Amino acid sequence: MTPALKVEGVRAKLGDLEILKGVDLEVPFGEIHALMGPNGSGKSTLCHVLMGKDEYAAEGSAAVGGREVMGLDVDERARAGLFEAFQYPVEIPGVSLDELLAEMGEAAGRDPHEFGDRVERAATRLGMAPFRDRAINSGLSGGEKKRSEMFQLAVARPKAAVLDEVDSGLDIDAVREIAGLVEALRSEELGVLIITHYSRILRYMAPDRVHVMIDGRIVRSGGPEVAEELEAKGYEELRAELGLGPNDDGADPYADLP
Amino acid sequence: MPSEAEEIWRYVELDLDLADFSLPERNGTPPPELSRLAAALPEVSGKATVSDGAVVAAEGGDVAVRPLLEAVGEAPERVEAVYGSAIPVEHDIFTAAHHAFASDAVVVTVPRGAAVPAPVHVTIAAVADGGISFPHLLVDVEDGAEASVVVEYVSQGDVRALVVPHIEVVSGADANLSLTVVQNWGYATTALAQARVAVGRDSAVRIAEAGLGGSLSRLHLTVDLLGRGSSAEVLGAYFGEEDQTLDYRYFMHHVGLNTHSDMFLKGAVEDEALSVFTGLIRIEESAQRTDAFQTNRNLILSEGAAAQSVPNLEILANDVRCGHGSTVGPLDAEQHYYLMSRGLDGARADRLQVRGFFEEVLARFPVGGVAVPVRGWINDKYVRAQAAGRV
Repeated sequence: MTPALKVEGVRAKLGDLEILKGVDLEVPFGEIHALMGPNGSGKSTLCHVLMGKDEYAAEGSAAVGGREVMGLDVDERARAGLFEAFQYPVEIPGVSLDELLAEMGEAAGRDPHEFGDRVERAATRLGMAPFRDRAINSGLSGGEKKRSEMFQLAVARPKAAVLDEVDSGLDIDAVREIAGLVEALRSEELGVLIITHYSRILRYMAPDRVHVMIDGRIVRSGGPEVAEELEAKGYEELRAELGLGPNDDGADPYADLP
Repeated sequence: MPSEAEEIWRYVELDLDLADFSLPERNGTPPPELSRLAAALPEVSGKATVSDGAVVAAEGGDVAVRPLLEAVGEAPERVEAVYGSAIPVEHDIFTAAHHAFASDAVVVTVPRGAAVPAPVHVTIAAVADGGISFPHLLVDVEDGAEASVVVEYVSQGDVRALVVPHIEVVSGADANLSLTVVQNWGYATTALAQARVAVGRDSAVRIAEAGLGGSLSRLHLTVDLLGRGSSAEVLGAYFGEEDQTLDYRYFMHHVGLNTHSDMFLKGAVEDEALSVFTGLIRIEESAQRTDAFQTNRNLILSEGAAAQSVPNLEILANDVRCGHGSTVGPLDAEQHYYLMSRGLDGARADRLQVRGFFEEVLARFPVGGVAVPVRGWINDKYVRAQAAGRV
């Protein structure tokens, strides 16, 4: 069966710096996968490269519901069924969330009536009604911004969703809430890749598979036990086990001090 | 003719030959229905129409709206005291010409204690091709009065006219006034406007300008916060298209103790348009415990367009809080990426960003009904630029 998201041999550079060194990944419809990795391993870059952000020079293949999206413009990828939930959702003063939703509906060629109903239902379910008249992400708390991302995801109904650190900067209640929202989105029409630095969000949800990225490559994939293993060992031990050597970027500069 | 060498005319080259213009005949013919705002202002407390400097209609109610002669007949001393007092003759050749040739005015008098909810709508039109005109508006707000005035400048697209409007506003104590100017000159019209607003004790004024039309449109605005506890909010939204020049010289003059001012202007330029904002906050030694802020943000939408943004402070008092900010740049790339990731194509994302950029200031316009068509006109200008492939 065609997967929701299939990534093959994706490489990406930012200037001369090679960040992704050949990523392969497959998220079937109906599944939620987690992508974990230390800071600087390339997780967020993968999100942006899949979405088509133009600051990266990228190659390789990424198919959304069987449709190749590499080489397409950002908006074409979105309309092909890819959704990125941002780690840092940008504030757009002067544009209300409702205006954005209306533009999304129009851009996607949706029937306005049916789309309006969908917005209403999702707003009610996610408690987003008070935010619809407010400027996009302006003055929202970290948790509210992430909830707004999930709301837009619910309205957009993509085939594949990439959630970039939706748990970052949140307190434990908000993490639990976001995890619940992700689980609630699980459907046979959607595959989700949730990117996270810590395993804590995975305690509140049931990812089907967990992938670990280090230095721009997926180094381990498995069931939920991979997250537990990582929790127990930490990224450094995994690096050592894999013969990758210590990560200079993330190294503790005071490690040698008494 | 003033030259760019003078600070007050810097950045703008005046390409005018006064010999090309003549004083139109004052036959009192009302202009064709030029107002584009009438539909947005279903309820007014009064209205007036000025055609090539002559008042052709004036009608008030609780607020007196009269042509100059009638106003002089009613209150000769008051009109004599304030008419023509605010804008100095010697300011430049154009103000001198205004003093010499202006022979009529709309005089709006808001009587003591009156609270007038609906705005007074003053339409100032340039009609004669090749005409030079000197429209004059005097707004006299007495103690404790509350009112709003909307001034609309209009001319047809092909009318090559030179207009030198003067607006004088005098507020008493405890007054509350908003003045909204919608500058919708045709693209062949040159306008060199002066406005001066004197604010009395514990009075608040809100001034908003939408800069849309004109080949060259200049507004030299001076706000004198004379009374203790007086305040001014000054808003602006302007969009320069093709080879338009939109030129703003704003002076916020704090004289009274405990005065407050906030200037917030946002503009965009495309193609080969030029915008200028020079803002000076001057705080006199007498104006202790004063707050004064000015912000000017500009979008450059095409490579050939330019925006000059020059905020300045002159502070003679020591117990004050001041701030100024100025930016000139393209549309925000992160916002653009975010919107496109939601499926909006580049042009649609740009339009939404431009709309949002202006909404921050239009939402604060004092007469909400005016912001509605202004929003649409700004959007039309941007859409035209997109359709022509200039942005």
